[in-house]
Amino acid sequence: MEHVIDIQGLVKWYGSVQALRGVDLKVQRGELLGFLGPNGAGKTTTIRCLLDQIRPQAGNIRVLGLDPQKNPVLVQRQIGYLPGELSLEGTFKVGQLFRYLIRLRGNRTDQAYLKELTRRLELDTSRKIKNLSSGNKQKVGVVQALMHQPTLLILDEPTAGLDPLMQQEVYRLLREAQSRGATVFFSSHILSEVETLADRVAIIRQGVIVEEATPDQLTEMAMRQVQVSFMDPVDLEPLRALPGVHVLAESDGLSARLRVEGEMDALIKSLAGFPVKDLQTASHSLEDIFLKYYEREEEEA
Amino acid sequence: MLVEFKHSLRNYGGQIAGWGFGLALLGVLLVSVYDSFADQMDMYEQLLEAFPQEFMAFFGDLGGMATPEGFVAIEFFSYMPLILGIFAIQAGSGLLARDEEEGRLDLVMAHPVSRTGLFVGRLLAFLCALAGILFIAWLGIVVPMNWSSMSLGWGEMARPFLSLYAEMALFGALGVLLSMLLPSRRLASMAAGLLLVTSFFLPGFATLNENLESVARFSPLEYYQTQEAFAGLNTLLAWWRFMRRDIRVGGEGGWRLGHLIPWSSRTE
Repeated sequence: MEHVIDIQGLVKWYGSVQALRGVDLKVQRGELLGFLGPNGAGKTTTIRCLLDQIRPQAGNIRVLGLDPQKNPVLVQRQIGYLPGELSLEGTFKVGQLFRYLIRLRGNRTDQAYLKELTRRLELDTSRKIKNLSSGNKQKVGVVQALMHQPTLLILDEPTAGLDPLMQQEVYRLLREAQSRGATVFFSSHILSEVETLADRVAIIRQGVIVEEATPDQLTEMAMRQVQVSFMDPVDLEPLRALPGVHVLAESDGLSARLRVEGEMDALIKSLAGFPVKDLQTASHSLEDIFLKYYEREEEEA
Repeated sequence: MLVEFKHSLRNYGGQIAGWGFGLALLGVLLVSVYDSFADQMDMYEQLLEAFPQEFMAFFGDLGGMATPEGFVAIEFFSYMPLILGIFAIQAGSGLLARDEEEGRLDLVMAHPVSRTGLFVGRLLAFLCALAGILFIAWLGIVVPMNWSSMSLGWGEMARPFLSLYAEMALFGALGVLLSMLLPSRRLASMAAGLLLVTSFFLPGFATLNENLESVARFSPLEYYQTQEAFAGLNTLLAWWRFMRRDIRVGGEGGWRLGHLIPWSSRTE
């Protein structure tokens, strides 16, 4: 399988603070990979290493088969990038900024596609950037990343500040880019966004990739919460003894809230011996797995 | 590189016009008062005789004002390094660091332009902007000379401007270098500005106190023949540093010197 991004053992220090502690990550061609992690986990640092904006102290990076430190121009020619903290020259009009960025790319931009992007994102190119709302500035960022139809899109929180309608439009644009053969690597805090958009998810925590899987695989791995109530008071010890089952709360043996890791089979079989009045399982989502890693981080802290 | 050069030069447009026409206006005023000044030369010489010796030593050959060359040198070029130095240092220290501190460099550097291309494009734009300012200022002196008794050739008048250009290029390059080494653009401007002010006044004080002579010898403004070389050296060092350093975001950076050591395993 060809890897558009191949990161091995990436280490980055900022003075005495270690931001990346050996990141290993591979992104396949044509994939839409969501990069998740709490604030300060190392998402932006990883992305900035990919673009040769910062230099790691150790590790190897290959982007589109090239070393971005040795061939930055060749790499950047094929990339569309949206920074996490987008800052633009306020005195420019939107159209002027696009013209400048197009010239930086050697005029390799399809004007018809640029017009389509601005139309679909409802962006007025005659307005000055300093007069734009943060959402409209974000649209400028999205358009400039997409307008030259790059092979690889690296987007740091692409829908930050956009209203739900525009978020949906950006999702459509990214899927269209993927259908044209582009690879999309995006970081996000919006778990529903990652869940609906990404083919695969990588979770970074404290500078290390802690999980890589499809959204479906991750939700299967998620812990479930089970709320069970009984017709008569019962002894919960047999449930406590089950592997992967934790009793979170109980009320005089008449009800219990359980956390279940893995398969439900053993619990259901055990509950068959109890006078069960009601049984509810909470629907699990990517948020559960994310929170699991997040809570673990807080516990360790 | 060419795109970045044109873009940066366009951004300098307001400053070229502002500084250039401001200095040109000053030149027009100076040339226009020269005739009346020359008429009152006797009074001026009497005035000079009344000044204390220390004052005369500090300001140099004030008697030279009797000639057109001396008049322009004292009334225009004597303090011009201090005035135009503000532009040179601000532009130099902001060459890359301004966009970097405001978070705009990230986006530019994600485009297919090499670090060298970006650096050279912007540096050339700065040097052209400086040349443009001095050219307009030069016109402000030589054009009104046609209606004045000031008898200086246009080429002759260009020489001190070329010398001033070298001085300003030197301080601009120093601003670039310091912005690559120090944690912020503001600190780089302050440090370069301090050196400029010290370099400007030190030779004057050295004429009053011989103990300062040995220090004054190091003033960059004293080395007319080597200013270009110093500017080139500063530029090379700044480029070398820019090629190796991290692009900061959100005011990252610190006083650690590890990043200055090429063989250090940690940069920033």
